[in-house]
Amino acid sequence: MAEFFSTYLPSWLAQLVTGLIQCVILLHVPLVGAMFFVWVERKAAARIQDRLGPTRVGGMFGWLQLLADGLKLLTKEDLRPQEADAMLFRLAPYVGFCASFTVFLALPFSDGWVVQWLDVGVFFILAVLGLEVFGVILAGWASASKWSLFGAMREAAQVVSYEVPLGMCVVVPVMIAGTMDLVAIGRMQEGLFTNWFIFHDPFTFVIFFVYFTCGIASVNRAPFDLAEAESELVAGFHTEYSGFRWLIFYMAEYGSMFIVSGLAAILFFGGWNGPIPLADLLGLTDANGELAGYLGRFLGMLNFVFKSVLGVTVMIWVRWTVPRLRIDQVMTMCLKYCTPIAAVMFLGATLWTYTFPGGVTGLRGTPYGTVRGVSAQRVELSDLTPATEDAEGAAGEGSDNKPAEEHAGDVAAAAADGEAAAASTPSGPLSIATFASSRARSR
Amino acid sequence: MDAINWHTFFFLLFSLVACAFAIAVVLSSNIVRMAFYLILSLAATSGLFFLAGADFVGAMQLMIYVGGTLVLLIFGVMLTNQGPYTMLKSRGDSWLLGVVAGVGLLALLTYTALGVRDWMGPTEEQLAETQLAFAQPSATATPIGNALLGIRVDKLNGGNEPDAQQQVLQGGMSGYLLPFEIVSVHLLVVLIGAAHLARTKKRSDTRST
Amino acid sequence: MATQTGTAFADDPRIIEYDVRTDEMLINMGPQHPSTHGVLRLVLRTDGEIVSEAVPHIGYLHRCAEKIGENLAPRQFVPYTDRMDYLAGMNMNLGWALAVEKLMNLEIPEKAKHLRVIIAEMNRIASHLVGMGTYGLDLGSFSPFLYAFREREKILDLFEEACGARLTYSYLTVGGATHDLPATWLEKCEAFLDQLLPVITEYHTLLTTNAIFVRRAANIGVMSAATAIDFGCTGPVLRGSGVDQDLRRDGEQWYTEMYDGYAFEVIVEKDGHYPKDHEYPAIPKTAVLGDCWHRFYVRMLEVIQSIDLVRQAIDRYRTATGSHCVPVKLNQKLPKGEAYLETECPKGQMGFFIVSRGEAIPWRVRARSSCFSNLSVTHELCRGCLLADVPAIVGSLDIVMGEIDR
Repeated sequence: MAEFFSTYLPSWLAQLVTGLIQCVILLHVPLVGAMFFVWVERKAAARIQDRLGPTRVGGMFGWLQLLADGLKLLTKEDLRPQEADAMLFRLAPYVGFCASFTVFLALPFSDGWVVQWLDVGVFFILAVLGLEVFGVILAGWASASKWSLFGAMREAAQVVSYEVPLGMCVVVPVMIAGTMDLVAIGRMQEGLFTNWFIFHDPFTFVIFFVYFTCGIASVNRAPFDLAEAESELVAGFHTEYSGFRWLIFYMAEYGSMFIVSGLAAILFFGGWNGPIPLADLLGLTDANGELAGYLGRFLGMLNFVFKSVLGVTVMIWVRWTVPRLRIDQVMTMCLKYCTPIAAVMFLGATLWTYTFPGGVTGLRGTPYGTVRGVSAQRVELSDLTPATEDAEGAAGEGSDNKPAEEHAGDVAAAAADGEAAAASTPSGPLSIATFASSRARSR
Repeated sequence: MDAINWHTFFFLLFSLVACAFAIAVVLSSNIVRMAFYLILSLAATSGLFFLAGADFVGAMQLMIYVGGTLVLLIFGVMLTNQGPYTMLKSRGDSWLLGVVAGVGLLALLTYTALGVRDWMGPTEEQLAETQLAFAQPSATATPIGNALLGIRVDKLNGGNEPDAQQQVLQGGMSGYLLPFEIVSVHLLVVLIGAAHLARTKKRSDTRST
Repeated sequence: MATQTGTAFADDPRIIEYDVRTDEMLINMGPQHPSTHGVLRLVLRTDGEIVSEAVPHIGYLHRCAEKIGENLAPRQFVPYTDRMDYLAGMNMNLGWALAVEKLMNLEIPEKAKHLRVIIAEMNRIASHLVGMGTYGLDLGSFSPFLYAFREREKILDLFEEACGARLTYSYLTVGGATHDLPATWLEKCEAFLDQLLPVITEYHTLLTTNAIFVRRAANIGVMSAATAIDFGCTGPVLRGSGVDQDLRRDGEQWYTEMYDGYAFEVIVEKDGHYPKDHEYPAIPKTAVLGDCWHRFYVRMLEVIQSIDLVRQAIDRYRTATGSHCVPVKLNQKLPKGEAYLETECPKGQMGFFIVSRGEAIPWRVRARSSCFSNLSVTHELCRGCLLADVPAIVGSLDIVMGEIDR
């Protein structure tokens, strides 16, 4: 997009405009998404509870109810407890929301449609998702109320504890894929739905459910919603928040729910790939031109959003059905159940992919760690260092011995069939990367 | 100026945030606020890592420092604190000692940093190589992963002859995996020890599960 | 944050001690609180998550009912009994009416007796539905609350047809009932009972046997039979600890003759088993006799028991003779003397005491509240429990502040 703008504007302005537009579009995902999800929640909760839910604002189904509520919240009096630490009290919701929103930077909505294409996408997402707890802790503390403090401490303990099994569950598809790049992981699951990682082996199948449970726990939804336990602590850490600030917390929560579901969709359910490769069948691929590729990706984005919404709906469903667990039961479940199960499943998945690199029937055709289909655009090691030849071939593992004329392959075991991907130029998005690499080169 | 190098802009922004909040940590007297400023400062540092292209290290900084260490810090502060506005004021002589130590360290670091000629700025040819790149990831995790296994990417640039590189490769290059495992086990031992030290001492069993 | 050092509790061997000393917190739960049933103030002394002391403070709903009873004729006092346990108004009315009738030695017709059984047991169902629903709500389960209230709405509709009111009925009065049941009431009641049984089975799935609910309620707030008797607990709270006591069978003749000839079992665990009239869900392994889960279970089973009783009462009502009440004048002089009668209300044994000096207005009126004694055991049960267990324990006692404070 910046290239498009740079034909009209000076390049620095083009970059700024691009960045702003991308940010604005991205900001709409948690905001409008939150609005939609809250509507779904209220309707689903109502139906589960044998009543109707919002039915007046915006026609028969009340879909504008959230807009009305948002306006109401905006016009509410901005309260602050007298003893509250003013600065922290005001900042806490925004810290939480920023953490939740930042994850969207690295979450791909379709093939190549990601704001910041990180090689360590999964890791980045896990890291930033764990930062949301700061909003909660600071809110609980700054409210100068014992109740809020309790809620904050309980939630912090819970989120931090569940990062461990969550990480372990995430490592399984990463290990199967051989990369932390979410776009590459998504690309590997192209084709029929049998390519999805959840059907890769029974261990991954189980790991998905453990992941989903840990995901619900780490976004503090029932049955793990002690921090907001209305019947016990009034409203937990956000007791003292009213109006707009509370709305920010709310949006952060729904944003995180979407992220966890979206991550599950990419890691286990193929992300933007549908059950059948519809885009390919319809001919909406890059091979048929840019517009066709765009449409194909758009279809993929719809697919991805649909899967994430499904995940969020399941979370909502679970919330209104089961009672909530006590904090020590939550911790027991994390440490005694989720973590060992995740560890055992990880071991099982490792052994499975080691024993059956091509799948059980051997029909997969591409061994473990190999990028299937369209190869990921990966920076070749050879581009960082000139004429490395068979250096890695001699010592490294997993790469073939290639003739000296070609660039030596990936050092990751992503031997992309000797593809011309090796021809990509050193194109880190940041100039210092190139700078550093060229420094290394001339050393 | 007619053009803003956004990279420089963000670098200055992140550095400013990191330094300003670090100074705020020192100048503030409220413990919880100190911890919060430290969070912001370390988050800005991770931003600097991302700017340098070290995605992995940046994410690691966020996860470990901000997400782990500081959560612990805040927990500790909140749990052992009395009253919402606990003050931590330094006495006059502490200030003097702190200033002396800080300025001394700053001088040492600045001198050392300026002494690395490589860091004095890009040369002409390197400037020519920089370009806007879009939607292409750089391989930041793969060299690290390979280093664990013994493929030391940074040691392969011995020269242009294949022979020289063969020598470098055969010259006892070892991976980081063993030290990594040792450190992990060490940390596990520390964790278990800490949990043991902080365990509850039950006098009698009245608590219903 | 007010802090208290726990030196007074240092020598109490039942309090758990930590190596790292954190300050104790004095937490106030209520009086306005979504979880305490009514205006109850619980002052908790906690050490982190563990509660070392829970002291209930009551009196926020005190309306001087007993003093007012000294200025009104018994028939005029009936609405005040409604407001005591407002979730089981009919049972309150019944208790008061029986106490006054005992004083006056007034025999009421057969039909009125069976009518009273129908109404009292229907109200027992309604009260237990509320108790069950709100207990689920306390523990975070939102939907059974609404399902319970949906069923309760149907009962309230029936009551509205019978007496015109949904909550404060003043229906069962001295001498019988104020009006007879309307024409199609019995059929509607039977239709309601027919569809209630599958719904109760649904509640069992959602709550009684739900794994999370069992973890929150089983082995929590365990109360031995001796403790229960010591503190004067009655009703499901007492029967949940295994004490076989039900005033409908064991009470005074004046009360039990209302249930003469009815076949019902007292819902209490004998030798590890509950009465097997129907298919009840099995007792989970972690549940200990006297814990919250058993108290909840007793209430659920009592609902089914009451359905049986109502059906029997409907049959008898249809074939009974007489009218629905004995007319009693408003300013009828009460015989000199006193009478005390306890009845088995949904929350426990509710007693009414009336002293008369021969006038129409009694000299002294006293209501013995079942929930008052039930609540007194909170302090004992909450010692050493986790903070999240306090609503579980208090909810399992199923208290109504109107009855405690009167």
